[in-house]
Amino acid sequence: MYNIIVLFKQILDIDQMKIDEKTGEPVTKNLPYKIEDLSKNAIEEAVRVKEKYGGKVIAITFGGDQATMSMKEALAMGADEGIILKGYRENNPTLTAEVLATKIKTLQYDIIIMGNQSADSYTGLLPGKLSSKLNLPLLGNAIKLEMEGRKARVTRSGEQRDYVIESDLPAIISVEQEINEPRLPPLVQIMMAGKKPMKVEEIKVNVETYKKVIWNRAPKSDRKRVVFEDIDKGVEEISKVIRSEVK
Amino acid sequence: MKALLFSESGDLASQLLTLLRDKFEINAYILSKDDISEYGASNVFQIETSFPYADNLSSFISEEFKKWNYHVILMVSSPLTRDIAGMLSEILKTEAITEIMKLETGENNKFYTERFFFGGKTIIREESDARIFTFLAGLTDPQKVNTKSNVQKIRIDLKSRVSLVNEIEKPKSSVNLEKADIIVSAGRGIGKKEGLSVIQQLADVLHGEVGGSRPVCLDYHWLSEERQVGLSGKRVKPKIYIAAGISGQVQHIAGMRGSKTVIAINKDKNAPIFNECDYGIVGDLYVVIPKLIEKLKK
Ligand SMILES: Cc1cc2nc3c(=O)[nH]c(=O)nc-3n(C[C@H](O)[C@H](O)[C@H](O)COP(=O)(O)OP(=O)(O)OC[C@H]3O[C@@H](n4cnc5c(N)ncnc54)[C@H](O)[C@@H]3O)c2cc1C
Ligand SMILES: Nc1ncnc2c1ncn2[C@@H]1O[C@H](COP(=O)(O)O)[C@@H](O)[C@H]1O
Repeated sequence: MYNIIVLFKQILDIDQMKIDEKTGEPVTKNLPYKIEDLSKNAIEEAVRVKEKYGGKVIAITFGGDQATMSMKEALAMGADEGIILKGYRENNPTLTAEVLATKIKTLQYDIIIMGNQSADSYTGLLPGKLSSKLNLPLLGNAIKLEMEGRKARVTRSGEQRDYVIESDLPAIISVEQEINEPRLPPLVQIMMAGKKPMKVEEIKVNVETYKKVIWNRAPKSDRKRVVFEDIDKGVEEISKVIRSEVK
Repeated sequence: MKALLFSESGDLASQLLTLLRDKFEINAYILSKDDISEYGASNVFQIETSFPYADNLSSFISEEFKKWNYHVILMVSSPLTRDIAGMLSEILKTEAITEIMKLETGENNKFYTERFFFGGKTIIREESDARIFTFLAGLTDPQKVNTKSNVQKIRIDLKSRVSLVNEIEKPKSSVNLEKADIIVSAGRGIGKKEGLSVIQQLADVLHGEVGGSRPVCLDYHWLSEERQVGLSGKRVKPKIYIAAGISGQVQHIAGMRGSKTVIAINKDKNAPIFNECDYGIVGDLYVVIPKLIEKLKK
């Protein structure tokens, strides 16, 4: 039996994101939110640990009111309780870590599962930050997780070799995309998940470091975009292009 | 400004030294015995330790940082240094900016950084008082200088709360996609592992290398990990990049943006890759590629 905390982030649906042709800036208005990709793997892994060894999964997101739908999805995937923390500000891992750590300190848990790097901002700082703040061992970049009594064992992927590492509980585990294939709960289940306990809380913290966005825009793409639907014509033209380039 | 550079390998350290030696006075701490004495570091410390892991390395780096009054910490991005950056940012109570491709110093100890955002769709420029930076690998080729660094070995024995149970070797291949002039990349659209043979044939005709999208390399293991192109793989800059059966999701594009000419082959004419290519053919890759090979052989 394990008490599991899973941390998930809600992000804008990047695949649907359009770029304003004039300014190069992303159009974020009316863009739907979704659960961040690696967070989904984290939720899936948390639920698998529960299903295999027994226990309870508490899902936490620092995201504000609009996170309700994502939280329902997390509950539908198998989390037992949800906590939504308000006051989120984009792209501020120091604030996120402070808020999450403050909340986590009030809870009972054996493991915390999270993604190793979020798919939108790609910062990857939270696992290390939380490990320091909560003074817990970090088993990072897991492609496999096994529990054995009061120990967690993780296969961590590296460039030249994989490492099997372990630590005592409580511990933080950050997962890679390859660890599992997240389940897709049917829509009815997402609706039903509304019956599970879900809390919305506000945690006030102070963050003193300074970071400001100067701009955020798409790099200019000046590709020619000559696309052939006639295969033979395309092959003819493209082989010419390749030849002139290779010589 | 004094900088502490930490790196897992000599090659990555010499890249970063080449990129940053004009901006900082750098001491390089490396986790290997590689000789990097000719890349402009004042001192090179070769660290020996039993099990280098994020927590024990973070305590070591933060002690050095405080002891020698370094101004900034510079690292090459990797899973290990990302964990270290997170830990250090809390231990030293300072911002960390990861995976950057550009760093400029401003006034009043401010820094300007540029990095990918929204999964690689945009680039974000930020001003901060951060003192920890991790850089994308492959931003520059290592270049030697005329001076030599002092080289010293240091042995550290710090305890980690994580223990190593086992190491599993991965099959080695020594492809260097970053340096390839021609890359033919396979996506999930090849449908089966055997499909790689036509990709390989095209690469052979062009004397190029084979690359792949993330599903092909990591999920299916049809190709080795070093061949993955993209945000979490390699950033390549060939003269010709041919994407076959690749949809063109942002994370893939982020890795091939530096290519001179991009050619896409995809059977879906609405695939996003056609917005990111110079030339494209709408069609089944199993029809298109053999025809292309035939034409090129002539
Ligand atoms: C944090 C994070 C990091 C990531 N990093 C990377 C990365 O570094 N690199 C990377 O590649 N991805 C990365 N991804 C994954 C990325 O989002 C996409 O899922 C991936 O790039 C899709 O690969 P694909 O184009 O091969 O497959 P798909 O998107 O499935 O596309 C297959 C394409 O093949 C076409 N096709 C099918 N059959 C044929 C045929 N017979 N002939 C011609 N065309 C055909 C289809 O029309 C389709 O467009 C990352 C994702 C996340 C969340
Ligand atoms: N706002 C958030 N609320 C809860 N968990 C988060 C939040 N942001 C990030 N995480 C978790 O931290 C992981 C790594 O994110 P990051 O360090 O931001 O790249 C994500 O995959 C999530 O599991």
